Amino acid sequence: MDIRAQVSMVFHLDKCIGCHTCSVACKNVWTDRSGAEYMWWNNVETKPGTGFPHRWEDQDRYKGGWKLNGGKNLQLKSQSKLGGLLKLFYNPNQPGLEDYYEPWTYEYENLFDAPEGDDQPTAKPISQITGEEMKIERGPNWDDDLSGSPLYAANDVNYDQLTPEERQQLFEIQRVAFMYLPRICNHCANPSCVASCPSGALYKRGEDGIVLINQDVCRGWRACISACPYKKIYYNWVTGKSEKCILCYPRLETGQAPACFHSCVGRIRYLGVLLYDADRIESAMKTADPLLVEAQRDVICDPNDETVIASARANGISDEMIESARKSPVYKYVVQWKLALPLHIEYRTMPMLFYVPPLLPVMGKDGDQPYDHAEDSFFTSLDKSRLSIKYMARLFSAGNEAIVTASLKKLMAVRYYKRMQEVGDLQDDRVRRIMREAGTTPEEAEEIYLLTAVPTVHKRYVLPPLQREEAIGSMCDVQDCKGSCGFGTTSGAERNV
Amino acid sequence: MLELFAFVGLPYAAILICVAGTVWRFRNDQYGISSLSSQFLEGKKLLWGSAPWHIGILIIFLGHFIAFLMPGVWQRLMAVPLLLALAEMTGIAATVMCLLGLIVLFYRRLTSARLQKSTHIGDFIVTALLLAQVGLGLMVAGGYRWGASWSTGTLTPYIWSLITFSPEISVIRDMPIVIQAHVVGAWLILLVLPFTRLIHMVSVPLQYLFRSPQKVVWNNPRRNNQAVAARVTQESRRHFLKAAFGLSAAGLLLSVGVLDKLGRFFQMPGLHHDEEANLLETRLRRLQLTAEEKELELERLRSDYIYVAKLAELNGTVGKYFIDYSMRPGLAFRAEDGWPMLLSAKCTHLGCTVGNQVDASGRILCPCHVSYFDIKTGMPNEGAPAKAPLDRIAWVVRDEQGNEVATESPRGSRTGRLDPTLAEGYSLFIVRSLSAEA
Repeated sequence: MDIRAQVSMVFHLDKCIGCHTCSVACKNVWTDRSGAEYMWWNNVETKPGTGFPHRWEDQDRYKGGWKLNGGKNLQLKSQSKLGGLLKLFYNPNQPGLEDYYEPWTYEYENLFDAPEGDDQPTAKPISQITGEEMKIERGPNWDDDLSGSPLYAANDVNYDQLTPEERQQLFEIQRVAFMYLPRICNHCANPSCVASCPSGALYKRGEDGIVLINQDVCRGWRACISACPYKKIYYNWVTGKSEKCILCYPRLETGQAPACFHSCVGRIRYLGVLLYDADRIESAMKTADPLLVEAQRDVICDPNDETVIASARANGISDEMIESARKSPVYKYVVQWKLALPLHIEYRTMPMLFYVPPLLPVMGKDGDQPYDHAEDSFFTSLDKSRLSIKYMARLFSAGNEAIVTASLKKLMAVRYYKRMQEVGDLQDDRVRRIMREAGTTPEEAEEIYLLTAVPTVHKRYVLPPLQREEAIGSMCDVQDCKGSCGFGTTSGAERNV
Repeated sequence: MLELFAFVGLPYAAILICVAGTVWRFRNDQYGISSLSSQFLEGKKLLWGSAPWHIGILIIFLGHFIAFLMPGVWQRLMAVPLLLALAEMTGIAATVMCLLGLIVLFYRRLTSARLQKSTHIGDFIVTALLLAQVGLGLMVAGGYRWGASWSTGTLTPYIWSLITFSPEISVIRDMPIVIQAHVVGAWLILLVLPFTRLIHMVSVPLQYLFRSPQKVVWNNPRRNNQAVAARVTQESRRHFLKAAFGLSAAGLLLSVGVLDKLGRFFQMPGLHHDEEANLLETRLRRLQLTAEEKELELERLRSDYIYVAKLAELNGTVGKYFIDYSMRPGLAFRAEDGWPMLLSAKCTHLGCTVGNQVDASGRILCPCHVSYFDIKTGMPNEGAPAKAPLDRIAWVVRDEQGNEVATESPRGSRTGRLDPTLAEGYSLFIVRSLSAEA
C-alpha cells in the first residue's frame, strides 16, 4: 500500500453556463505572453462539438494515452522507447498551429493614429505570431453553442458508437441539445505525458499530485504533446519548451483556489483531496473498458480508514492533508455518491478531474412542457433524452451506460425529492420509490442538495496546506511577474539563440 | 603562420570554448537549452527537411567517428574493396540526404512568415556553416575518391596529434584546399555549438531508454528527512559492510597463510635436493669465509710475527695484499734498492681498499673516488679527494734461520742490512711490537 494524496477536482456540468470566465481568468494570469497566446490551459467546449484543439479526442490521429497490449501491458499509444527517440526529429502525431488556431489581436492603434480621411478607421485583425493582417478562420471556442451544425457537431469523435439513425436524430432541429465541457489538465494518476517525456522534465508532485513540467529540464522534444490524450500540454514556440496547466500551485500554496475555480461564475467547481493507493493504479488501469470507472473508484481510498491513514503518514503526508481529505467534496461526489465520473477513462491515464454529467439536456424534452414530470415516464425519459445516454457514456464511462444512468437517476431523484419538499406537488410514497430505485436516501439527497445548490466557498474548495515548490513564481506578485513565465522562473519569454 | 592558426590554434580554441561554453550553458542557462523545434508552426515541409537531415548526419557522424577513434579497425575493414565501395556509397548517399534536408529547411525558413518570427541570426549562422560543411564534404568525397581509406593515414593522425598535445600539421599542410576548408569548417561548427541551437546535440535524451515510466517528486520535509534517514542507514550499512568485508578479507589472507604453513609442515617435501645442496653450499662458503677471518684474527692475537711474503716474491709494480694486526688491508712492495715497502691499503678518504697496480709515475689508484697515492711517500696527488697520506706499516725481515736481519719502524727508520746474495732465503713479517708502537 503506497498512499498518496491528490488535489482533485469535480466540475458539476449541470451548473456550467459556458461563460468562459474561467478561461479568461487563466489566460490573464498564465498565458498572456509571447509564445503562449494560443494556449488555453483552461478552455470550455460545447458538446457535441469538435473541441480545442480540433478533434482532440481522435486518438487514431494524435495517439494520446495508453493502450492495453494484449490485455496485459500498458503501453504508450504514441511511442515505444526507441520510437520515442526517432520521433525527436519529427513527430507525426503532434498537432500543429492549424489544429489550434492562429492567435490574433486587433490593430487598435489604427483607431487613434489613422490619418484623417472620409472613412471611420477600423481595427483590423492581425496575427499575434507574424504581426501581419489575417483572416480569422478558427478560434479556441469556434464551435461555441454550435451543436447540431454539420461542420462541428457532426465531426464529434464520440459519435463513432452511434448508428447513422441515432446520429441523424441528433441533428433534427427540435432535438438539438448541447452541454458545456470546461477542461483543464486532469493531473492524472497514471499520466502518459510523464511517461513519454524523453528528458524526464515532467513529474508528478508526490504530496498533491500536481503534474508539472520542469522548464529547465524540458528540451522541447514534444513527445508529451501527442502523448497527452486530452491535449492539455502546449508547445511554446518562442521558448521552445512545453507548458501546461499548473493547477495554479502558487495560488494553492498560498491558500487560494486556482484562478479558474476562483472566478467560476456558476460555482460549478469543487476542489479537494483524494487519497489513493499508487500500488493499485497499474492493475486498475489494465481492466476492460466498461469496468474502468469502478476500478478507479476502487483505487481511491477511504480517508477514515486507519490503515490508509497510517500508510499516508508513512509517505510523509501531513495530518492536515489527511484531515482535508476527510472533508473533501470530491470524495463525496466521486466515491460516496458516485455522481462524478472521469472524462474518457478509456485513455487509461486515470484522470483526477471528475464531471457530474449534466441532467439538463437529458431531461429536457420536446413538447409543451420544458420538463417531463409525468409520473409514468419518469425514468423512461432517460431513454428518450435528447442527448443520448450512449453519447454520455462515451464521454464519461468508457461506454458503460449503466454507470452514467445511475448517476443521472440519482441526480433526478434528488430533484424530485426537493420538489416534493419545496413545491409539494408530488406524492411522498412515489418519491420514496423513485429514490429507492435511484439508490439514494433522503439524508443523502439532502446532503447532495446542500453541496450542489447552496455550498459556501469553503465547502467547495477544501484547500489543504501545500508544500511550496522551489520556484520564484510562487513568491512573486502576479502583477510583477506578468509577461514572464511565472512558473519556476522569472526569465522573460524570449527565444534563446 | 596562417596554417598554424587554422590547424592548431583554432582547433584548441574551438574545443576549449565548446567545452567551457557547454558547461557554462548547462550551469547558468538550462532554461535556454532547447531543440527549438518549429514543427508546431510548420510541419509539412519539416518532415522532408528535418528527418533526412538528421538521419543523414547521424550516419556521417558514425563514419567519421569510427575512422578517427578506431583507425586500425577501420583501415582493416576498408582494405576489403567491397566494403570500401559500400562505405563510400553510403557516405555519399547520406551526404546527399543531408544536403537536400538542409536545403528544404533553409527554404522553409525563408518562405514562412511564421518561421521568420522564430528565427534568429544564430539559425542563419548554423545553417550557413552546415551547408558549407556538407557541401565541402561532398566535394571531398567526389574530388578525392576513397577518402574512407586515405583519411585514416592522414587526417586521423592529425586529429590524434591534437588530442595527444603534440600537434603535427605536416600532413594537412600539403592537402588540397577543399579538404583543409572541410577541416576548418568542423572546428568552426564546434566553436559555435554552445551558443546556438546546436547545443541540443549535447542533451540527446538517451536516459529515456532506461528510466521507469512515472516520475514522482516529493517536496515535504518529513519525506526528505525520511529519505535522508534512509540514506544514512544505507550509508552506515555500507560502512559496516565495507568494514566487515575488509576484516574478513584480512582474516581470509591470514588463515590462508596459516593453512599454507600448516600444510607445508605436514605435507610438503620441502626444497628439491638440488636447491637444498646449492643453499647449503652457499651457507658453507659463508661459514668458511667467516672461519678464515676468525683464524686470521686469532693468528694476530697469538703470534708476534705475521708472515707477509718471501722477499723475493715482491716487486715494485704489483703490490701484494696482506692483513695487518688491526685486520686492515695492507700492500707490500719491494723498492728499487731491494728493501721492502709496506703501506696501508685503506684509503684515507672513505676507507676503500686501494688498487695494487702501480702506474708509470709510481702511483696506486683508489678506484672509489680516484685518488692517486705515491707508493714511495704514501702522499695523495694534488686535488685528490683523499688529503692524508697512506700509513706506512712497520716490518721485519728474517733469514732462513729465523734471525732478524732488518727492520723498519712505522716512522720509517730502518735498522740492519740486507745481503742481496742471501735474499732468496729472506721472509717478510709484520711485527706486533712495532705495530702496537704505531
